[in-house]
Formats: sequence, structure tokens, C-alpha cells
Amino acid sequence: MEQMMTSNIETIPGFTITKSLGVVSGSTVRAKHIGKDILAGLKNIIGGELKAYTELLTEARTEALGRMMMDAAQRGANAVVNVRFATSSVAGGAAELFAYGTGVIIVEG
Amino acid sequence: MLLNYSHTALASLLSKGDSLNSDEIGELIGLSLTVLGVALFIILPSLAFIYSMIFAKLHQSKAIKLLLVREANVLQQLGGDNLHTLSRPILDRKINESRLLVANITVGPSWWQLFLGGIRSIFGGNIVSFDKVLAYGRSEVMQRLREQAIGEGWDEVLNVRVETSMVMNKVSGGKQNKRGTLEFLAYGTGIR
Repeated sequence: MEQMMTSNIETIPGFTITKSLGVVSGSTVRAKHIGKDILAGLKNIIGGELKAYTELLTEARTEALGRMMMDAAQRGANAVVNVRFATSSVAGGAAELFAYGTGVIIVEG
Repeated sequence: MLLNYSHTALASLLSKGDSLNSDEIGELIGLSLTVLGVALFIILPSLAFIYSMIFAKLHQSKAIKLLLVREANVLQQLGGDNLHTLSRPILDRKINESRLLVANITVGPSWWQLFLGGIRSIFGGNIVSFDKVLAYGRSEVMQRLREQAIGEGWDEVLNVRVETSMVMNKVSGGKQNKRGTLEFLAYGTGIR
């Protein structure tokens, strides 16, 4: 998984795309921990950054990206180009994080 | 007969004593708990609100000042910004490696700012207090991307996009986004 190259531009610079394998995607739905939620609620009194949520979303987004790469790997791609993110709020304060892009096969040069 | 009767009635009264029976005790505890609960419900939020009024500005100004210093440091160190919204480098250069870089932050306005915003939304117009929170969040997330790029040794970040989304809010009960929590996401392709 480490070697898979990702970018949010149309190409991987320095490489040539030989084949496109279609849209690959990964998603995850995360609910917040109630204890952390209460702490974040207290933090909300003075506003500013809510670290607990930031960390939770970072973690979730990393997982969504990981799943996207897994999807790409299953299709035989070795890179994902034009990666985008979508975030949506679902019932009960949970968040869905979605990452998608185009799985491609690239060769050097 | 009569004497005897009153004597036993008195005796039974004596044996009862002055203490409350269990039903009354239960009722009393229930009542005091309710009073305490209501008091906490009223007093704590008002205390928190006053706390918010006094300290929120201080807290946020500190964070903004720190961010400005970090920004200035990075810009000075690089002699320019390393984030670009173009999908290819302006100057032709050889690219050996590239990867997606992601940074995020969740911010929310303080209770006081929410209150001010609520008042302002009656008459309409610019909500300055929200402006500050959003501007801070957006600048901070871009600064994080810059610092991440520098930390991992990427020369430039191409095609930077910044997104905003409302997350971590209860959507149920008709009160949407009560807390005003926002997530900022910045991502781009690091090259070297």
C-alpha cells in the first residue's frame, strides 16, 4: 500500500499513464465517542479548534484513503490520480468521509 | 376504658417519634435533587456563558497571533509560498516523486460568538465574529499543509483545494448545526 502513488492532478508527474481502470473509491462512517463529544462541547464554550474532532476526522479520512487504495490495488492499479474528497453529515452526529479517484497503471518516463 | 384508650393512642404516638417516614424522606430527596438539577441547569450555562464572553477572545486571539507568526516564518524561510492552485509547476522543472497531502482542522465559534451571531442574524449584515473563526480555520489548515509539505521534504504543493463541511452535528430534532462546528480540509499534490 505504501508504494501506491496518489495525486489530485490529472497525472503523476514524471510517469506516463498506460491504462485507466475507472473510478476507485473508499468510504468510512465515523461516530464520535460520547466522552470526547462532551469534552469538545466544553471546549466549544470558548471556541477555536476542537482537537478531538480534528483527530477523529484525520483518522477517518486516512482510513477512507486506505480503502480507496485497496480498491485500486484490487483492480490492478498502481496509482490513483485526481483524488477528491467528500464529507457529509449523517444521522446522529456521525460523519461519512468519502475519497475517490481514477485508478491507473503508470510506467516511468 | 376511655383512659385506657387514650393511653394507648399516646403510647403509639410516642413510639412513632419525630423522624420522617421513608416515603417522606424519598419525596424530600426527590424534591431537593430537582431543585439542585434546575439550579445547575440555570447556573452552570450562565457561568459558562460569562466565561466564554471573557476568555474566548483571549484564547482565539492567541491562536491567531501564533498562526501569523508561523505563517511569516514559513514564508520567510521559503522566500514565497509553497502552495499553488495550478496543476503544474509554473517554472519547468523535473519531478521525481509526488504524493497527495491532506490537512484538516475542526473549528467552532464560542458561545458568545454564537449569541452575537444570533442577534446579528435578526437584522442581517456581516457577522464579524464568525468571519474571524472561519478565516482562522482556513488559514490554519493551509498553514498545516505548508508545514506538512516542509516536514516531509516536498518542494511545492500543486493543485491545492480547500473544502468546508459541516460535520459532527446532530441533524435530528430540527435544530441543525446548533454548535456551528465546521471542518476545513486542504489537500494538494506534493512534488519533489
